[in-house]
Amino acid sequence: MIPSIPHSRLFRTTYASYVVLFFLYLAAPLIVVGTFAFNDSLFPSLPWKGATLDWFFGSEQPKLGLFQDDPILKSILVSFFIASCTTVLSLLLATCNAFLFEREQFPGKNLLYILMLMPLVIPGVILGVSILVFSSSIANWFEMNFGWELDFLYPSTTLVILGQFAFISTICTLIVSARLRKFDLSLEEAALNLGATKWGAIWTITLPFLKPALIGAGIVSFLMSFENFNTTLMLVGSDAPLTIAMFDRLREGATPVLNAISLMLMVASSILAIISLLMDKKSPTT
Amino acid sequence: MTNSSSIITDVNAHPTQDSSAGPDTYDLECRNILKTFDGGFTAVDNVSFQIPKGSFFSILGPSGCGKTTLLRMLAGFEKPTSGDIFIKGQSVTNTPPNKRPVNMVFQHLALFPTMTVAENIAYGLRQRKVAKHEIGDRVKGVLQRVGLPDSGNKNIAQLSGGQKQRIAIARCLVLNPDVLLLDEPLGALDLKLREHMKIELKQLQEEFGTTFVYITHDQSEALVMSDQVAVMNHGAFVQQGTPHDLYYHPKDAFVAGFVGESNRWMGRISSQSANGLEITTDSGLGLHGVSGENQSFNNGDKVEIFVRPEAISLVRGQGDSNNSNQLACHVVNVLFDGAKSQILVKDPQSNGEVTVSMPQTADFENLRKGELLSLSWTTEQTRCYRVEG
Amino acid sequence: MSLRTPKLRLGLLLLLTPMLLWLLLLIILPHVNMAIISLSERVSAGEYAFSLSNYAEFFTESLYWNTFLRTATMSILVTFLTLIIAFPVSYYIAKMLRGRTKGLVFALCLIPFWVSELVRTYGWMILLRETGVVSSSLQWLGLTDGPIEFLYNDAAIIVGLVYTSMLFMVVPLTTTLDSLDDSYIEAGYDLGGNGFTVMREVVIPHAMPGIVSGCIVVFMLTLGNYLTPALLGGKDSLWFTEQIFTQFITRFNWEQGSAFGILLLFLSSFIVWLGLKLSRQSFTRVMS
Repeated sequence: MIPSIPHSRLFRTTYASYVVLFFLYLAAPLIVVGTFAFNDSLFPSLPWKGATLDWFFGSEQPKLGLFQDDPILKSILVSFFIASCTTVLSLLLATCNAFLFEREQFPGKNLLYILMLMPLVIPGVILGVSILVFSSSIANWFEMNFGWELDFLYPSTTLVILGQFAFISTICTLIVSARLRKFDLSLEEAALNLGATKWGAIWTITLPFLKPALIGAGIVSFLMSFENFNTTLMLVGSDAPLTIAMFDRLREGATPVLNAISLMLMVASSILAIISLLMDKKSPTT
Repeated sequence: MTNSSSIITDVNAHPTQDSSAGPDTYDLECRNILKTFDGGFTAVDNVSFQIPKGSFFSILGPSGCGKTTLLRMLAGFEKPTSGDIFIKGQSVTNTPPNKRPVNMVFQHLALFPTMTVAENIAYGLRQRKVAKHEIGDRVKGVLQRVGLPDSGNKNIAQLSGGQKQRIAIARCLVLNPDVLLLDEPLGALDLKLREHMKIELKQLQEEFGTTFVYITHDQSEALVMSDQVAVMNHGAFVQQGTPHDLYYHPKDAFVAGFVGESNRWMGRISSQSANGLEITTDSGLGLHGVSGENQSFNNGDKVEIFVRPEAISLVRGQGDSNNSNQLACHVVNVLFDGAKSQILVKDPQSNGEVTVSMPQTADFENLRKGELLSLSWTTEQTRCYRVEG
Repeated sequence: MSLRTPKLRLGLLLLLTPMLLWLLLLIILPHVNMAIISLSERVSAGEYAFSLSNYAEFFTESLYWNTFLRTATMSILVTFLTLIIAFPVSYYIAKMLRGRTKGLVFALCLIPFWVSELVRTYGWMILLRETGVVSSSLQWLGLTDGPIEFLYNDAAIIVGLVYTSMLFMVVPLTTTLDSLDDSYIEAGYDLGGNGFTVMREVVIPHAMPGIVSGCIVVFMLTLGNYLTPALLGGKDSLWFTEQIFTQFITRFNWEQGSAFGILLLFLSSFIVWLGLKLSRQSFTRVMS
């Protein structure tokens, strides 16, 4: 079943139609969400009542547009803050881990590697509650024994960041490690040979080589954090990030302003996706 | 990684042409270098050698003979278990690789893929904190000298195999190293380019006057380029000398077999006289030969006999000659390879195969399989070496 | 590098510390702590004793273990469906397309992954609800008289979960299939095989690591999903993560919730282990 092996016309047409149908299935919900952002109706459903940009710019209830909706705008800022912190932490840890697992030899390395992969197979909800329970236990203990009130250990933005960092760093580690594995060690030796120090060699040769993977991992972790729901739901404090705020609205009954937000998210994600794809193409190989 | 606290010397202050330092006619000297790895494997076994200034020195050996380990010790990536390395008369045994006045061309070149050609060449100068405008001038100068004056802004991926080769060498030579180490850099090239680069490397070495230490498993590379060749086997230097010496006066059976091509027989000494040795091969041939360098035998000693394909004279059909060794054979195959064509023949007496260089005369053009050939060669070209054990 | 000086070991320590801190504080200790809490019972205010009552409660209350089994079987079903739907598509991308088209179509597959799960689920709600696009279209076409509710049933949950998981199946499948050289397939045909035998004896064995890794990730994500069942299944979705959420957040019964969490963790580890055993793959190989 490859082009070099002849097949009947019927087979080829059926196969191609299946793939087209698959892409329709992929696209349908996204197209619908995007389209109804422009429907001049109070509900995101048919019939179509004409096009409007009110759900973006409208300034009056009930058609309060996205850019006038303060709670939503604030939740976007919260999400931005969380995603930035998570990304920085994850990239730092991922880079350390990549060097640890690709360069060092030590007893128990394989066990540690498997443990590092664990967050991939722990359901997000469980990861969230376990961190919630643990941090609350610590906070309670400190309050009982020392009278300290460690508020950040109760559901809060800090806890959301820690919870997301717990599993996003594993994904970043896999991306950065894969790139480091392709690195030819003789490049670092060549740098030493040309007079660089060990740190100088890593800084001038190895890290630039890892740059495409670091940017790619950064984009992935930013988006995963921005869009995370399951872990965040368990750890969120008073400042709701965007996904939680949208979820609450959805339960109250959706208005097309949610479609407007979704459309903006799609556009932003697509831009980031394109950047990361371009990054992938440009990365030089050894 | 590097024990920097013990290194106080300035990078720029590495021993340059300092004539007051006594007998520094040797750019590189190794004394009793020994390297054993965990588990007791001896990679380099008590190797000593001296390389005079400005020469092209090759270390030739089969893979696994320890030549790469030796080179990595010279560069500082491995530490000798015992012994000393001197560069221009100063010990560098405890100097870390980034402070040694030697540079290395790596097997796969190790050109930095994240940098342009000019940035690659400037890398070592930047590490030495050379002034910016001077870096520019020196990079331009060295690019000119390796014949790629317009390649500065190119990416590494845009270069051809031969150009990469030259940039890797330029990146080292721009630092004026006392010794340039080359780790089989021609291995990855295709045959034609390799032949070309052999000549080019030799010319570059002569032009820059830098001492080259070149390791390879390819005897032709070593023979063509080198002033001196050391043959290495099982971690030790077996023989060191000019290419001519190695080819015509191999010291033992390993060198005789490894350098150049040879026909080989196993046999025993049957008698000795002033004119040479008489040997009977295991397959029953009687041959006249001489003992190899520094060898002496008793009757009945087991020996290995070497005869080079080009030392054998040929006559079509039955023929006589004055040579002491004569053998009538049948053509098995003609291995045509232009000027390097060979004839594979079989002698009916012992059923053994012999390779003979095809004479480049019209007489042998239409040789056919099964045809009778008369082979002959002199006593002097039949070298016998002791077989141990 | 053989320059193993004490300084190098210091480097190892520096690299090891953040890793161990992260692993201990965010992964291992929270789960150990949760296991301990699940085994305790509140005797009086602020006093706890060892007890298996939380687990006993799970097995005696039929709602709990019914939900548990239902979640497990539906997750397996979703994983299977995702594999069946994704494989031909991945194969098409990897083997039937060439060059730029291939890259483009593959990137097209990835787009929904870049969009929040919430947005995707919201899209399905708009499509499937009583006043939604599908229902309205059917009425407009005259295929039905009144509006139909497609939302809030098991089929809707499955459609949503398969959709959400699709990408995690397509990517590993396409990557492994792409790494299979065409000449192997050609050799299969050349030696007398047909489409079916070549698929079974050449393509699928080669794609096995991708299949297993896709299945593991999809199964995990489905089992641990909260959003999609909650939104598409409505009140009666009976997904086990909702029980966990209820115990922790609504009822504030952490002991019971922890027990549920540990049970779900055991279930997922067991099924992943079983999958690896049956397909004879190694965890580290499949995951990286």
